[in-house]
Amino acid sequence: MRSSLRRSSLGRSNFGRSSLGAKLALFLLCLSLAFAVPQLLAKKKEKAPDSGANEQKRAVQALNRLTFGPRPGDIQQVTAMGVDRWIELQLHPEKIPDNAVEARLAPLRTLRMSSKELVDNFPDNGVIKQVKDGKRPMPSDPAKRAVYQVQIARLEEKQQQKNDRVEPAAAPAPAPVPTGPAASDTAKTEAELAAAAAASPDSTPGMAADGNGMNPTSSSSMSASNPPANEMAAAPPAKVKLSPADEAEARRREDRLYADLKVQGLIDLPPDQRYKKVMAMSSDEQVAFADSLRGGKGQDFVAGMDPKQKETLMAMNNPQGIVHDELMQGKLLRAIYSDRQLEQVMTDFWFNHFNVFVGKGPERLFLTAYEQDVIRPRALGKFEDLLMATAKSPAMLFYLDNWMSVGPNSMQALGIPAHPGPYGPYGPRRFPPPNPNAKRKQNSGLNENYGRELLELHTLSVNGGYSQRDVTEVAKVFTGWTIEKPYEGLGFKYDPRMHEPGPKFVLGHRIKPKGEDEGKEVLHMLATSPQTAHFISLKLAQRFVSDDPPAALVDRMAKTFQKKKGDIREVLTTLFQSPEFWAADTYRAKVKTPLEFVASAVRATGADVDDALPLARQIGNMGMPLYSAQPPTGYSMKADTWVSSSALLNRMNFALGLTAGRVRGVKVDAVQLAGGPPQPADAAVALSTMEAKLLAGDVSQQTHDSIMAQIEAPAKSAAANQPGKGPQDQGSQDKRAPQRKPGDVARPPDASTIAGLLLGSPEFQKR
Amino acid sequence: MSITRRIFLRNSALAVVGTAAVPSFLTRAAFGAVEAGGRNKRLVVIFQRGAADGLNIVVPHAEPQYYAMRPSINIPRKSVIDLNGFFGLHPSLAPFQPLWQQKHLAIVHAAGSPDTTRSHFDAQDFMETGTPGVKATDDGWLNRSLHSMPRAAQDSAFRAIALGPSLPRILGGSEPAVAMNNINDFSVGGKNPKASPAATAFEAMYDHSSDSVLHGTGAETFDAVKMLKAADPGKYTPAPGANYPKGRLGDGLRQLAQLIKANLGVQVAFSDISGWDHHVNEGATEGQLANVLTEFSQSIAAFWTDLGDLGEDTVVVTMSEFGRTARENGNRGTDHGHANVMFVLGGPVKGGKVYGRWPGLDQSQLYEGRDLALTTDFRQVIGEAVARHMGNKNLAQVFPGYDNQPGKFLRVLG
Repeated sequence: MRSSLRRSSLGRSNFGRSSLGAKLALFLLCLSLAFAVPQLLAKKKEKAPDSGANEQKRAVQALNRLTFGPRPGDIQQVTAMGVDRWIELQLHPEKIPDNAVEARLAPLRTLRMSSKELVDNFPDNGVIKQVKDGKRPMPSDPAKRAVYQVQIARLEEKQQQKNDRVEPAAAPAPAPVPTGPAASDTAKTEAELAAAAAASPDSTPGMAADGNGMNPTSSSSMSASNPPANEMAAAPPAKVKLSPADEAEARRREDRLYADLKVQGLIDLPPDQRYKKVMAMSSDEQVAFADSLRGGKGQDFVAGMDPKQKETLMAMNNPQGIVHDELMQGKLLRAIYSDRQLEQVMTDFWFNHFNVFVGKGPERLFLTAYEQDVIRPRALGKFEDLLMATAKSPAMLFYLDNWMSVGPNSMQALGIPAHPGPYGPYGPRRFPPPNPNAKRKQNSGLNENYGRELLELHTLSVNGGYSQRDVTEVAKVFTGWTIEKPYEGLGFKYDPRMHEPGPKFVLGHRIKPKGEDEGKEVLHMLATSPQTAHFISLKLAQRFVSDDPPAALVDRMAKTFQKKKGDIREVLTTLFQSPEFWAADTYRAKVKTPLEFVASAVRATGADVDDALPLARQIGNMGMPLYSAQPPTGYSMKADTWVSSSALLNRMNFALGLTAGRVRGVKVDAVQLAGGPPQPADAAVALSTMEAKLLAGDVSQQTHDSIMAQIEAPAKSAAANQPGKGPQDQGSQDKRAPQRKPGDVARPPDASTIAGLLLGSPEFQKR
Repeated sequence: MSITRRIFLRNSALAVVGTAAVPSFLTRAAFGAVEAGGRNKRLVVIFQRGAADGLNIVVPHAEPQYYAMRPSINIPRKSVIDLNGFFGLHPSLAPFQPLWQQKHLAIVHAAGSPDTTRSHFDAQDFMETGTPGVKATDDGWLNRSLHSMPRAAQDSAFRAIALGPSLPRILGGSEPAVAMNNINDFSVGGKNPKASPAATAFEAMYDHSSDSVLHGTGAETFDAVKMLKAADPGKYTPAPGANYPKGRLGDGLRQLAQLIKANLGVQVAFSDISGWDHHVNEGATEGQLANVLTEFSQSIAAFWTDLGDLGEDTVVVTMSEFGRTARENGNRGTDHGHANVMFVLGGPVKGGKVYGRWPGLDQSQLYEGRDLALTTDFRQVIGEAVARHMGNKNLAQVFPGYDNQPGKFLRVLG
């Protein structure tokens, strides 16, 4: 950005703090001079003309890159502490108390559950089927029980429907029906509804809905199958003969109908009573209740309940969705409120580097532990530890299929029994020797998915000098690295029966046969390779500096990586102390990803987030659904991915919606941001105040003028936007202006619109 | 006009198939009623991200080797929709059958990018930049194809459009291109037909932003927003019989049809569908691949039905970054391979035929002993659509470094 375009209001509102910052900086300068550490010399040269304003600028730069964006007061705080000291502290998150965010995370119980507990509390269909078939006990806890019962009822219903489709409908079709693929389904539902009406002579379903003023869309099953009145008349319900099974089904449907009405009636009760009423419902009523929560409609119903109550009710509708929902909320709450910002940034970075996808099979069971126990504790540690931990994590083993990869000549593939007796698998020859021509067992062969991505995406990079042969050999090395009962949420297991025997040749090295340790040897080899050092350094520089970072910087980081044995903290220190990190030409060089944009907007406004899920949905709309990057590459960190028409419109609309209080679960005090309730005459002052607060006062002339134009001439622009009304109509426009209601297009921009315009501005899209 | 001649040739096929899914332009054209002038040709590219398994999509069911190499995931001969006695469609591609019979749908087998990479990311990148093996290319071939393309009757902000939240590599470059995720959200500050003051302010900010990326995209965005507001496509009901399935591709193509039918000047468009990377339990006639194929074929067939007459000037090409191993792996899935299959659909397509040379599946015929070998460079297929359908003869600019002489075309288009 050219400086001539920039207005500067730096240091006006916070002069006192800045001079304190200058003193601290001076003190630090003396300190570092006293120690005369040679590698700091370069940095000092960069900092030589240090002043309050310069230190503040460094603070902005550091906050933009090491955090999810500055909050009100952050710049002053970092300047006061001294930017370097603050960075040093961020590199040691264990020294930063983080109670505020922990309190906000407390209601998200799944974040503290093991994979096994998740299976138990939020069962998938497999578990439900086991309980239904009596192969697994029904939980005794009433809350869990309710969740299970609804799922069992739904499963039964699904099977019933499947059976119905196979068997011819018991009830004759009531009237000629339109032809088409859905015709037979329609006929059946109509017959069922008619039957339901017959079983309850005092009302027909359609009338019940109308008579009670119920919104027909509140029950999806109702509105979908509610036939027009004239068709109902054409099907005299009383004459339909029903089998006992159909009668039972009809009764169930009728119960649902009334349960649905009951749910509507509960909404006015206090939260606790509402919860108790649901728990006291019959199983069918609970199913109807769960159905009514579909499509994200449950938020109003659970409002005010305690976390476990909320979770239980939401889980009755979608048990598996809870885990993903809470993960997304956890990520956002940490990004917004954690004081260990660099740790959150790096956790996000490594999760994306070692990406896994929530939508693949039972993957959601593993994600919580993957992020919390595998990634976060190692986010600033040794790369090799991180690589090893991901390699052994059920999340990665499942996502990249290694858990199923079997050596073609392994005991399992050759069909050698698991317990061949006291002499081991190959002798003494009581069993026929392994016959290589015997029919191989199904599901036993090599899967090279992990082997390839380990080389391409996790370590060496695509140009790292490996071949297809290396991929296959690495895949052989990792055979036997598997998961104990993945669908039960158990952990890593090395299974020697799956392991390919014999030596392997990886990147020109001979790997001696030694079972599980072969994998460790290969991971060590990859973690210490110069290609890996370069690739990881490049990605870090792309995250923290620019899409196309200076080669010299990457080389220096890679040198540190190798010298310090992959110590990520050391590599970052090299990065943060480099002149390139502070260079003016990379100031605001990065376009924010949707996650960074949304988190930074919420942080900048100092908003209070009660429910982070709506924010997560917005990020999804912008093309970055959290934990849902399907390919192993994860999400791009580069601008061209995130700058598009659709994305920009989404960002602008989000900015306006956020500051106007239209994002559910998030409260922004825009008036406070503007420095108090602004009078029309104060609009310009309000704008300056907000420019300082939201963008550190660093706003282009163009952006400033565009917003000013809206403040000064709202009526004029409204007139210009009225089709068919020329300038001659302006007088009448002005006269009408005071009568406009809030939300009218010609209302002068208030504090929230000004804030929204700033958050949607080109400047705020970058960091 | 050659189209008219072809229409008559095709009518005999139509008589056999019946008229259920026949675009009315065909019947109309048969009576000599094609309108002249003002016609806007369109090219729609659909990317199957994740490396689709071409051998189970268009199945070489007369190859004994195919069945030998895929004991548990093959498509049995009795289940395929036979095309010509040798190839057959996966049963989940049933929606394609009428298009094939009407000769609107052609297939190019053993096609793809000649680069040897088996990296999803790189291979997709190469197919989108149109320069396999060259990583430094910073724009996409679909964007470059606009450089020398005859312009439509009116200039349009929707000349190049991607359906989805971000602009893909293939449309990146100096020509304006718009990404649209949801037509109903494509405005600032609400759906009011008038521009909101906020929209005016944002437009002014982005119009003069010193940031070139944001400035360019911002300008394109506001042009498109205004144009869409003016056209006011309103609530959209697809044509009868156009039943789009749920999912990103169906949503995208439905909205694309809406834009095309609102006469917004779309010339090139892009949409994609992911979920093809089946290393485990790929399935055969049913299962993971079958499910995604159902969505794929229903979406495209619905789009074709929805376009009706406008299909006459539309060509749809599908591609995927590479194929999958000829043999199934140890987990009833397939790993990353080489050549793949492409579909070409449209008014000017000489369909009902499998194009390209079949390399065979014997061990000696496989690429690196494991994958279907490549006999058609995808740029030959795309090049023909760009040159002969869209009228851009400057293929050297669209595919730099590739000798894409018209003599190399497979003549998939009439």
